[in-house]
Parts: sequence; structure tokens; C-alpha cells
Amino acid sequence: MGASLLDAVLAETLDPAYAQAAASRSSDGGPPRPRRWGRVVVALTMAVAGLLVAVTYDQAAASVQGRDEVRAALVDDIRTDSSVTDDLAAQLESLRADVTRTRDDLLAASAVGQRARDALARAEESAGAVPVSGPGLLVTLANADPSADEDPVGGGTAAEDPREQVQDGDLQLVVNALWAAGAEAISINGQRLGPTTAIRFAGEAVLVDFRPVTNPYEISAIGDPDSLSAEFLASPEVGALAVISQTFGLRFEYAEEERLSLPAASVPELRSAVPADPAAPTTDPTPGG
Amino acid sequence: MIPILGLAAGVLLGLFFDPTVPVWLQPYLPIAVVAALDAVFGGFRARLDGIFDAKVFVISFVSNVVVAALIVFLGDQLGVGAQLSTAVVVVLGIRIFGNAAAIRRHVFRA
Repeated sequence: MGASLLDAVLAETLDPAYAQAAASRSSDGGPPRPRRWGRVVVALTMAVAGLLVAVTYDQAAASVQGRDEVRAALVDDIRTDSSVTDDLAAQLESLRADVTRTRDDLLAASAVGQRARDALARAEESAGAVPVSGPGLLVTLANADPSADEDPVGGGTAAEDPREQVQDGDLQLVVNALWAAGAEAISINGQRLGPTTAIRFAGEAVLVDFRPVTNPYEISAIGDPDSLSAEFLASPEVGALAVISQTFGLRFEYAEEERLSLPAASVPELRSAVPADPAAPTTDPTPGG
Repeated sequence: MIPILGLAAGVLLGLFFDPTVPVWLQPYLPIAVVAALDAVFGGFRARLDGIFDAKVFVISFVSNVVVAALIVFLGDQLGVGAQLSTAVVVVLGIRIFGNAAAIRRHVFRA
């Protein structure tokens, strides 16, 4: 039964009704059917077939085009919104500069105010709230080069060995070693580290201060050039990292730089504030966040 | 000749007027097209065999399209729509292929 079903499908490709109709016609010895009627109906049926094909093609093409359009619209939205964000950030920057200038002017008017301004400047410097520049150390960490025998067609992301990639822990280790070696300010790929900046993983991206940074990772540290690099290299964690990076082919380089410029860290939110006490105007500036 | 003109007219009509298909019908269009192709190839082969019959052609066309769409609709309701679509496409595909081979033998004598 099963075999004959398959045989029937494979052998009887023509509708048997045609043969039956032909047989009954010939047994009638028959006059041909009214031809004109038949032709019109056949032509109409063929027209319906063509219509079906065209409409289906249209539908398929339209759905592909619709997907593309939605995608393009989303990409446009992203571009517009990020340019709006950039504008707002620039606006914030200039307003903040205004505020700082006005504050400095007002504080400069009195001796108490000048002391407060100096204290504020020191606090801002340690909080990473102002851009700094100076000599320092530039440490570069990069993922291992993709192996030559890797299949370039497959996209390769799935085949990548996580051990051949720089992890958040590696960056944390380098940064901590740099702080321990006496660095005064550190940034990763131009992202300044403040007192509350976290370095962590999200999916496959390393986030610094919740903003993604990508391979290769350039860690700039400002500090006394001689003691900084000596103490950095002497720390046991860096030795361990050097061994790890050699084993898995990570790129781990460092260079002393004459002049590094680090931007300000992202502005911390103001989380606590107290009204100034008029009796004792020299309140300590409350570092935000 | 007239059937071919009809087919061309249908394609042009579809492309120019761009009729909107109700959403509930859209999933069954591709299957209906395959079924229609099967009927058209069958009719062409029957004509070359000299046993073409207008009534058989029209009825086989309509029933092919309706039954193919109905089977897939039923499969959708039962949760096996994709598998039944595959089954319909395989069976009709084999028939189209066989008819195309027969047409080729008629046309090229090989």
C-alpha cells in the first residue's frame, strides 16, 4: 500500500481525469465539445493563475521591502536621538561651565570663598570631575588575533574562545595595579574613571561607567612617570597578567608617555546636599555621587 | 496561444492593479500558486498528449487551489500547518516535475 501510494505520486503526474475524459469522448465517438466556450474559460483560468502568481510575488516583495523600511526608520530614529543626546550633552557642558565660572567669580570675592574654592578644586580633581593632563603610562590590552585557520565565512563570533578576549577582570586588575602604583588619574579608551566608576561585563561588551568600550583597550594613567611604571611592573598581578596574555595571545603593552590628556569623568548626580549654614559659611563641598 | 495570452494578462493585471489581499488569506497564497502551477503544467502536458479537456482543466485548477489552501488552513488550525505545507509542496512539486519532464519529451523528443 505504502509503496503503491508513492508509486502513484511518482508515476501519475498527469491528472487521470484527462485520460477519462478523452476515453469517454472517443467512446461517444463524439462530437467535440463547444470549443469557443472552452477556450474562453481556459483563458480566464490562466488569467487567474497569472494573477495569483503576480499577487503572491507582490506580497513577498512588499514584506521584504516593509522589513527594510522599518529597519531604516529605526536606524534613522537612533541617529536622530543620539544627535539630540549629543546636543543636550554639549548644552549641559556649556551651562555647567557657566555655573562654574559664576561660582568661581562669587567665591573669589572673599577670603572664605577662596578657601572654599581651593577645597572644591582639590575635591573635583580627586573625583575626576575636571580634565587633567600630564606625563604617565599608556597600557594597551587587546584581544588575541583571530586564528588564521578560523573559518572567515561563519562570522566567527561563536567560535571565539572567551579566554582569548580581554575580560572585565583583566581591566580591573590593570586599573587597580595602576592606582596602587600611584596613578593620579586613569581613563580607559577616553572614559575617565571617577570614584564610583564600575568596570564590568554586559554580554560581550565591557562597560566602563555603563558606557561600552571596545577592543583594543587603552588605559591611560597619569602619575609620576618613573615610579609609576616601575611600581606597576613590580606588582605581582601584572606579572600574572603578562603570563596569561602570553599564554592566550592577548596583546599586553605599556609605554611611558610624555603627555597624556584625560577628559573629565561623567558628571556625578547630586545625591545629597545640605542648606548652607549662614553662621559657618565654609561648609565642605559635598562630592556628588 | 489564447491561454498564454490569458496568463500574461493575469500577470499584468496583478502587477498593475496591485490588489490588496486580506490578511487572513495571505499565508495560503504561496501554496495556492504552487497548486495553480501544477494544474497549468498538467493542462499543458495534456494538450501535448492530445487529450486536453477544458472542463477537466478548469475543475482541476479550481479544486487544486482550493484543496491545497484548505489543507494548509486545516493544518494551521491543528498546529501542523508548516508540516502540511511541506507535504503539499512535495507532492505538487513531484507532479510539476514529472509533467515538466513529459512536456520536455514532447517538445524536444528527448
